[in-house]
Amino acid sequence: MNMMKVARRMLLAFSLAAQTNGATAAPTAYQLQVDGLACPFCAYGLEKKLGAINGVASLATNVKDGTVTVTMRDGVALDEASARKAVEQAGFSLRSFDAMQSAPQAGGRQ
Amino acid sequence: MDRKTLRKIVRRGLAAAAVLVAAGWLAFVPSAKEPPYTFITAWGGEGSAPGLFDDPTGIAIAGDEVFVSDARNGRIQVFDLDGRFKRQFGSPGAGPGQLGRPMNLAIRDGELYVAEYFNDRIQVFGLDGQSRRLIGKAGNGPGEFSAPGGVAPDGGLFVADFYNQRIQQLGADGRFERQWGTPGRVGIRAGEFNYPTDVALGPDGALHVADGYNDRIQVFDRNGIFRRKWGGPFAMNVFGPFKGWFATVTGVAVDWHGNVFAADFYNHRIQKFSPEGAFLTSFGTPGSGPGQFDHAIAVAVAGDDTVFAVDFGNDRIEKWRPVGVASRVSFKAGQ
Repeated sequence: MNMMKVARRMLLAFSLAAQTNGATAAPTAYQLQVDGLACPFCAYGLEKKLGAINGVASLATNVKDGTVTVTMRDGVALDEASARKAVEQAGFSLRSFDAMQSAPQAGGRQ
Repeated sequence: MDRKTLRKIVRRGLAAAAVLVAAGWLAFVPSAKEPPYTFITAWGGEGSAPGLFDDPTGIAIAGDEVFVSDARNGRIQVFDLDGRFKRQFGSPGAGPGQLGRPMNLAIRDGELYVAEYFNDRIQVFGLDGQSRRLIGKAGNGPGEFSAPGGVAPDGGLFVADFYNQRIQQLGADGRFERQWGTPGRVGIRAGEFNYPTDVALGPDGALHVADGYNDRIQVFDRNGIFRRKWGGPFAMNVFGPFKGWFATVTGVAVDWHGNVFAADFYNHRIQKFSPEGAFLTSFGTPGSGPGQFDHAIAVAVAGDDTVFAVDFGNDRIEKWRPVGVASRVSFKAGQ
């Protein structure tokens, strides 16, 4: 085995490792800021639409802050376009969409 | 233009504005015709143990029992008329006997009708908690629902189909009969809806609709003909804190006299109207003390005129009586 081959294989191994780490390090939770969440008819409607997105593991709504924390199953990412569509279907506008590096331990009403 | 003339114009303008405000007030803000109700007691508190709630959203009375939707706990809790816990049934889920965000309730002929917001169906229980039948499924076609918020049985049933912006009438077998409103289309004219949240039938069979985000009540006679609407100027989606106005109606109930009670969510109060829609009185102020609400979401009236109201944000039920007939006043904090 010559040196070039060894170098190429090492590069490939590094690349695969980086991809794998990238998958497991994907954000598992996202915080959505939405206006007008005090009414449960609204909050439940939003939870219902977001909960129908593939890969969503759980939702926590904080009606006082107007935020929804969406926790995804391991390795599944939530894209902003899907979140925005669900929010709009529920009759709201998405004010902000932020990825969190780890799922929240507590908070909000499940 | 000199200063004198300018002052004259300003004075006349202010006078005209004052006359307009006074005329608007007289025209659109009615005075109370009855005294407010007296607060009797409250029970509940946040939690999942028996007697506690995690988002109470609906209420109905049968005899000497009070049934309450405990939405996030996925159950119905039953109390006596003084708030003592009797039993509970249901668990979160979508199977028969399970509940997905139960909302406004109704009782007729010994059966409890539950509007299930997450499961897009009406579930009918015996008062003992046995699930008897499921009506409807998800969709926007005839007999289908998108987040039903309330139900009114009359042999058949009427359903407030929240996200479909319509009221549906179904036969006793659950088959579609007719609808008011157009699926998916919000409207502010008579017979149109903006996220209807609840329905109730009067003693004459008139259908009363809590037209949630139009901030009004609409009434249709038993033949389905529009009769009247009220809530703010011209009852056309103008919200406000004044008497007779609403800031999102989330529940409606009609007593045996035909008087109409509405849960005025963002105004933290219950309002009472005559059968013709004239404002009679209101009760409740914002807060968490006795006689206060943190968003009043649902209301029911017992046969002796006692009113039970759901205090959503404080996770409790409040009991009120008309003035002069209250028997006792108490407050069970934290129960």
